[in-house]
Amino acid sequence: MKEVMEEAVLLFLLLVIYTPDAQGTRYSPPGKPELTRCRSPEKETFTCWWKPGSDGGLPTTHALYYRKENSDTIYECSDYHTAGENSCFFNKNDTSIWVNYNITVVASNALGSTFSDPVDIDVVYIVKPNPPEKVTVTVMELKEWPFLRVSWEPPHKADTRSGWITLIYELRVKLEGDDEWEMHLAGQQKLFNIFSLRSGGTYHVQVRCKPDHGFWSEWSSTSHIEIPDYLHREKSMWILIAVFSAFIFLILTWSLHMSSHSLKHCILPPVPGPKIKGFDKQLLKNGKSEDLLRVLVVSDFPPTTPSNYEDMLVEYLEVYVPQEQEVLLEESKDLHDSCLKFEGSTSDNDSGRVSCDSHTLLMDKCGEAKEEGRQTDQEDSTTEAEAQGQQKDWDQDTLMYANGDILSPEKSSGRVKTWPSVFSPLPQYTLSLPDQTSSLEMAKQHCYSDSLFCPGSTSSYLTHLGNNDNETLGPGSWEICLSNRQPYSHIPQMQTCQQVRSHSDVNISTIARKQEPAGLPLPFFRPTAYVEVQRFDEEDMVVLQSIVSDHGFHEGFPQMLQQEDYSKVKGVDSNNMLLLQTEAMKEDGDGCRCQDQVTNGVTESSCTLSISTTPHKPTAHIHTVVSTQDEMAQPASGYVDTATIFTLPTY
Amino acid sequence: MAHKGTTGSKLFITVLYMVVSSSAVPVTDLLDRASQRSDKLHALSTSLSQELNSHLPLIGRVITPRPSMCHTAALQTPTDKTQTLQLSEANLLSLARSLLQAWMDPLVDISTSANSLPHPARNIISNQVQELQEHSKSLEDGLDILSRKMGPVAQTISFLPYLRGNDISQDRISSLINLQFLMSCFRRDSHKIDSFLKVLRCRAAKLQPQMC
Repeated sequence: MKEVMEEAVLLFLLLVIYTPDAQGTRYSPPGKPELTRCRSPEKETFTCWWKPGSDGGLPTTHALYYRKENSDTIYECSDYHTAGENSCFFNKNDTSIWVNYNITVVASNALGSTFSDPVDIDVVYIVKPNPPEKVTVTVMELKEWPFLRVSWEPPHKADTRSGWITLIYELRVKLEGDDEWEMHLAGQQKLFNIFSLRSGGTYHVQVRCKPDHGFWSEWSSTSHIEIPDYLHREKSMWILIAVFSAFIFLILTWSLHMSSHSLKHCILPPVPGPKIKGFDKQLLKNGKSEDLLRVLVVSDFPPTTPSNYEDMLVEYLEVYVPQEQEVLLEESKDLHDSCLKFEGSTSDNDSGRVSCDSHTLLMDKCGEAKEEGRQTDQEDSTTEAEAQGQQKDWDQDTLMYANGDILSPEKSSGRVKTWPSVFSPLPQYTLSLPDQTSSLEMAKQHCYSDSLFCPGSTSSYLTHLGNNDNETLGPGSWEICLSNRQPYSHIPQMQTCQQVRSHSDVNISTIARKQEPAGLPLPFFRPTAYVEVQRFDEEDMVVLQSIVSDHGFHEGFPQMLQQEDYSKVKGVDSNNMLLLQTEAMKEDGDGCRCQDQVTNGVTESSCTLSISTTPHKPTAHIHTVVSTQDEMAQPASGYVDTATIFTLPTY
Repeated sequence: MAHKGTTGSKLFITVLYMVVSSSAVPVTDLLDRASQRSDKLHALSTSLSQELNSHLPLIGRVITPRPSMCHTAALQTPTDKTQTLQLSEANLLSLARSLLQAWMDPLVDISTSANSLPHPARNIISNQVQELQEHSKSLEDGLDILSRKMGPVAQTISFLPYLRGNDISQDRISSLINLQFLMSCFRRDSHKIDSFLKVLRCRAAKLQPQMC
C-alpha cells in the first residue's frame, strides 16, 4: 500500500514536472556558450573561462573539450572548480607549450546540447602573471632631501630564476589627494627610487609586472607612505624668495618714482589747447558758449531785425566766414577729401533745397560728387516742389542774412552774404552744429558757390553758423566762406576759408541742365568761376575777384573772361531771391544753364551762368571741364555782378 | 644571400676581434645581446603576423594550415618547462641556431611575396619583413660566434629542408593565406629561439642574478 502510494506520488511529481505549463513556457535547448578568455600565470598552467548562454529553462551543464594540434584525441577538462565557476583549469601535466589547443565548450540540458565556437590558443601567447609581491616602500634621505625607495618581489609562481619567464616591472606613485598617477618603468630591476617628493604628504605606490611577450598583471595593492616634514629646508627657501621679491619691489617703486613725471606724460598726455589766433582760452574755459561764439563770430553778423530782410536783400551781398570750430573742422575734413559729400544729407538736400538743382553738384575729383551730384540733381528735380515750401523760410533766412549785418561788414570777417539763389545745399556744414540748429537750419544747406559760380565769381560755402548770437538772423544763419586768397581777409577762419577755397578750387560746381537732367553726371558739371572777396567798400560793397587762376577746371573761364562773361544780378524775384545771371556769351548751343541758381529754379531764361567752352563741343564742355585740369586757363575774371547792388571791378 | 653589414653584425665582429685578442668579453654579455636581439625579432614577427591577420578574409581563417605543417615541425623541441630546463646549454644553442638557420630561405620568399602582396598595408609589411631579415642575419652571426665558445655540440645545426611548394601564380587569397601561415610558423619559432636564449642567459649569469 505504501509503495503504491509512493509510486503514485512519484508519478504525480513526474507529471507535474514534465507536463507543459498551462501558461506555455517553453523549454529549449541551451543557448550557445562562449569562451571568453584563457590565461596562464606562469607559462606552466592555464585556465579558460566561458560565458554560458541561456539555459533554456532547464538545468544545463557545461563541458569543455580540447584537442591538441598534433593529435586528434579529444580530451575533456579535468578541473572545473579550481578556477571558479564556468572555468577549466589545465594543470601542468595537461599543459603543453608551443602547441596549439583547439578548445570547445558544450552546454547541454535535457533537450539538447549546444557547441560553442572553437578557439585556438597557444599557451605562450596568453601569459599574464600575478602582481608583484611584497612591495615595500621606505623613506630614505640623501643629503637632507628625502626620497622613496620601493622594492618588491616577483610573483611567487613565476619562475624567473631559471629564466623561464622574464618579467619587467612598472610602478606608479601619487599623492593622497591627486587624481593622476606618475608612472615609472623599472625594467627588470626590483628596486626603484623616487625623488622630487613633497614633504608632509602621503604617497600611494603600486607595482605591476609583465612578461617579455605577454600581458600586464594587475596592480599590486596600494602601499601608503607618509613623508615627514622637512620644513627647515622649505622655510629657508621661502624666506629667500620673500627677501628677493621685496628687493625687487623696492627697486620698482624707486624707478617709478624717478620717472613719475614722464610716466604721467605717457599715460595721461596733456590735452592740447586750441590754437586759434585771437582765441581766448579763458573764455573757452568759462564755458559760456554764447560768449565764445560771440567772440568768434564777428559781432552781429546775423541780422537782428528780421524785418529788415528786404533791406538786407537789396542792399548788399554778404559773405560770411565760418567761425565755429566744428564747422572748421568739418569743412577742413571735407575739404581734405576734396569732395563734397552729400551722402548723409540727401534728405537734407531735399528739404532745404533751394532750386539749386545742379548748382549744388560739384564736380569731384573722386567722382563721388558726380554721383551725389546726380543724385542731388535728380533730387532737385523731384524735390523742388517740396523745396519750395521750405524755400520761404530759407529765403527768409537768407534775407536776414542779406539785410542783417551787412551794414556793418568788417573786413576781418570777410563776410559775404550770398543770395539764396546762390545757395547750394551743403548739408555738411549745416549739420556741423546739430545741437544748435533748428530744423529749419537743417533744411538749410550750403549752397555751393556753384550758384555763385554762375556769376562765375564767388565760390563760397555757406556754413551754418551757430545760432546763439544769430537771433537777429532768425532761426538760422548762414555763413559763406569765400575762397579767400588774399590775405586781406584777416579772419581767424582764414584757414577755413583757405580750405574752403581749396575745396572749392578742387570742385567744379556743376550746374544741372534742365535739358539734361539725369543722364550723364558730366553735364552737371560746369566750370565755375570763383570769386573772392577782395575788399569791402565803404559803401558796403564787396569787391569780388575771380580766382580761377590755378584751376584747370575752369576752363570755361578763360573764354568767359575773354568774352567778358560775368554774372549779373538779374533781379530779385518774388521770393526775395537774387537771380544771378551771366551774360550769355558765345554759347554754342549751350546757352545759359544756370537755372538752378535761380530759386525755384525753373527760370530757364535767367541764365546766370554761361559756360563757354570750345564751341564745337556743346556737351563736350563738360568733358573738357573734366580734363582741363592740366590745361591751365587764364585766370577767369568772372564774378558776380549785381548791377543794381554793387559794382565790381572787372578784371 | 647577401650579407648585410648591419650595425649588429658589425658589433659582433668587433666583439669577436676583441674576444680573439683578449678573450675578455664574457659570454654573458654576448648572450645578453643575443637575447635582446631575439626578443626584438619575436616582437617584429608578432606585429607582422597581426598585421596580416587583420586583413585576412574570413575564409582564410578556416583553411589556414595547421601549425603542425610548418616546415620546422620536424625539429624536436621541448614542449614544456621541465623539458626545456633539462636541456643543456649546448643543446639549447644548437636548437636555436637550427631554427634560425631554417628560416633564412623562407624569409627571402616572404620578402618577395610581401612586395607583390595585394594588401592595403603592403609597404609596412615589406618594411617589416626587411627588418626581420636583417635582425635574423645579425642574430645568426652572433650565435655563430657564441657557438664557437661553447663547444662542438653547440655548433651542430640540424638541417630543416624548406620546400618551396608555392606556385608563383597563386591567386590573391591563396598567396595571402600562405603568407599568413608562414608568419605564424615564424612567430612561434622565434619565440622558441627567444626562450632558449633567455634560459641560456640566466644560466650563464649565475653570478649576476639581476639578469634573470
